[in-house]
Amino acid sequence: MPVVDPAYWSELQRHTLASYDEALLRQVAARLVKPRNQWPIEDLVERGAAVMSNPAVIDRRLEDLTPPARRVLALIGHSRQPYWNLGNLVELTIALGHGDGLQPVLELLDAGLLYPHLKVVQGAASSNGIAGKKLKSFEQWMAAPGPAGLVVFAPPSIAARAIGEDLGLPDLSKDEERAGSVSDGKATVADASGSLGSSFQEADGLEWLLRLAALWQQASAAPLRRTQQGEFFKRDFERLQQDPLLNAVPPDRLADVPDAAFLAIALAEQEGILADSDGELRAGQLPASWNKGLAGALESLWSDLPRLTAWEPREGWRGGEVQAGNPFPSAYLLAFLLLARLPEEATVKPESIEQWIVAQHPYWTNESLRPSQQKPWLETFLLGVSYQLRLVQAVRDADGAWRVRLSPTGRWLLGLGEAPNLETVHTQTLLVQPNLQIVAYRQGLTSSLIARLTQFAAWEGLGPACTLQLQPETVYRALEMGQTFDSIRLTLEQHGTRGVPPAVLDSLRTWANKRDRITMYPSATLLEFGSIEDLNEALARGLPAVRLSDRLLVVASEEAIEFRHFRLTGTRDYALPPEKCVNVEADGVTLSVDLARSDLLLETELPRFAELISGSPASGRRQYRLTPASLNAARSTGMTLTTLETWFHQRSGRPLPAAARLLMTAGESEAPRLRRHLVLHVAYEELADGLVQWPHTRELIEERLGPTALVVAEENVGPLRDRLKMAGITLAE
Amino acid sequence: MPAPLDEDDVMLNDPLRPVSGARIPVKLHRRVCLVQTEDAVLAEELLARKKLAQDVVGRLTDRVLLIRPGRVEIVIQELQKMGHTPQIRNQ
Repeated sequence: MPVVDPAYWSELQRHTLASYDEALLRQVAARLVKPRNQWPIEDLVERGAAVMSNPAVIDRRLEDLTPPARRVLALIGHSRQPYWNLGNLVELTIALGHGDGLQPVLELLDAGLLYPHLKVVQGAASSNGIAGKKLKSFEQWMAAPGPAGLVVFAPPSIAARAIGEDLGLPDLSKDEERAGSVSDGKATVADASGSLGSSFQEADGLEWLLRLAALWQQASAAPLRRTQQGEFFKRDFERLQQDPLLNAVPPDRLADVPDAAFLAIALAEQEGILADSDGELRAGQLPASWNKGLAGALESLWSDLPRLTAWEPREGWRGGEVQAGNPFPSAYLLAFLLLARLPEEATVKPESIEQWIVAQHPYWTNESLRPSQQKPWLETFLLGVSYQLRLVQAVRDADGAWRVRLSPTGRWLLGLGEAPNLETVHTQTLLVQPNLQIVAYRQGLTSSLIARLTQFAAWEGLGPACTLQLQPETVYRALEMGQTFDSIRLTLEQHGTRGVPPAVLDSLRTWANKRDRITMYPSATLLEFGSIEDLNEALARGLPAVRLSDRLLVVASEEAIEFRHFRLTGTRDYALPPEKCVNVEADGVTLSVDLARSDLLLETELPRFAELISGSPASGRRQYRLTPASLNAARSTGMTLTTLETWFHQRSGRPLPAAARLLMTAGESEAPRLRRHLVLHVAYEELADGLVQWPHTRELIEERLGPTALVVAEENVGPLRDRLKMAGITLAE
Repeated sequence: MPAPLDEDDVMLNDPLRPVSGARIPVKLHRRVCLVQTEDAVLAEELLARKKLAQDVVGRLTDRVLLIRPGRVEIVIQELQKMGHTPQIRNQ
């Protein structure tokens, strides 16, 4: 699904030009911008990017090109896909008869009409927009392809101007005439349902949209997991292989598509319907182009065809395999352009187109091509894939073989015709049944209706009459995506063939109301006020917030807050580690909380093990106290000493105070004992040291209480007196 | 004895109420994960669910539960397992 925003391409072109070194930039600018003197680099970049929005200048630059180079641009324009693998462009050029397939591409690169897709890192540019690492030459870029290969891009506004260039392709219907296998192709077109007297068939174009919608639902329910090599894990591989919706035979099947479910995967990735996230394919967004009508949806799928690498019509799914060269993007485009060469009303057999491609395309003209790689494939692609995308019409000839021609949609997408009106007029096409099943008659379906139904119902069957089931999970999903009970009801009523049964409306209403029972704010911004008056004042000033309590408001988006009304007394980001905001007083059990730095977590944690004493927001501090009762209560709820220690460390930066540890563990430690002691007090510390050291007194001293205090057992008093007398010390009584 | 203040004077003299136009003091809490229930009974029901309760840090009000940072997906899954369909209000 290519980007159409001109600003995107202008910016990309600017970044790419800024990635060229000065010499290369001046070389390209000389042809693109044709400066009359030595312009600064910045000006060359800006002027170069500006060319993209100037059709007159583009046309003049196209005239300066050689015909092969113009053809390459025209091919890109026809494809509506700005990004192409370099190899595919070379193949196309050779297939059109130019011996040197690379030269036209190099010419376009030199002319600044085609650009290498470089890895331009956002934010790496310096203030003047010049990126860090410069490209010296296009040969340098080609010498180091990287894992994604060599990819180039042509801004759509440039490529589109080249459409109309004669590509030199033959009219294959004339070749068939000469070969004697002609169809007059005079029959008129029928739609997929057919009508008497007509023989051409054209699909409704909805088949791949329905399959992609079903795939989106599958991925919404359970993402698909891939290995690092890009292959699916066995369970998901089998899930895809066996899925009845993704592998269903279309009602107007003309040819089988190998690995149809995996083709859906490949298309879904291009469309953004599936997005890779760490090896898992998760549901993305349904394309916005579906809301713009079927033509827009088909245009997006058309532009995806040259970017399909994991699926090809010969072998089907190739995901995970390292492919040396994929010829199919270029081959697809050649096939459509050959169809475009046919006169109006003329048809051709797919086989004839394939013969031409095999004779001209360098992949198939390669003598070393293995027989397995020479299997026919174009009929599968034209009748299986392109037909369902409404790109071709088909008719059986007298021998029963299929013949094809471009449909008006295919012609328009190639840039060779007006956009057809593909919109359905009668869209009352839904039958809602009381058992919550919806029957959707295909002839009334539109791409936007498919998108809406996909959001709130589950596809169960695809065919001329598709079936869906309303489920609580699907309705919930739609509500999460922004739909409401009323929008779902409106869709069913506007497109219903009858009124919606009351039981269905009741179920929808119940499921919708159920969602209102619980609201989750994964990452909210709360405003905490000092008083209810301040909160009310904030609301009166227009703050778009929801009241949670007398002091708390929650806002969905911080951008909605007009900060000029507020004076921030503190901010707290809960994605960051907890802040140290608690001061422990000298008593070890009184905690002072700095309200400016505290947070809601703290204010719910503290009451679990401490009692509020005092404090107000105006004072900026609040005090709590640990008490035996509060810590008892904490223990009874499962709080452990370790938890408390961690909390103190995180919140105060200090270990658990001794007094707090005492209260927390008192009941668990060994019971303390009371004992009577006689304490010998001496005059100075060294005397006590001597008494403890002298063997005659050491054995009579039980323990040392302090620098000058020694414990002596009562029965040792007499002997101690005698021993002290020996040392010349008289014991005072 | 001074004359009693009328209502306007009371408002102007109220030290706690900011004069209209003055900036309101507020503390900002960013990236908070919350669950708000329809009523207090439902909040109790959620707290009674062991697997949820371990991710609930606290109760801001009788209907608002504070969820541990980084546990959003787990909580959403648990709520869905309980049969609930929470409305997710993303920024």
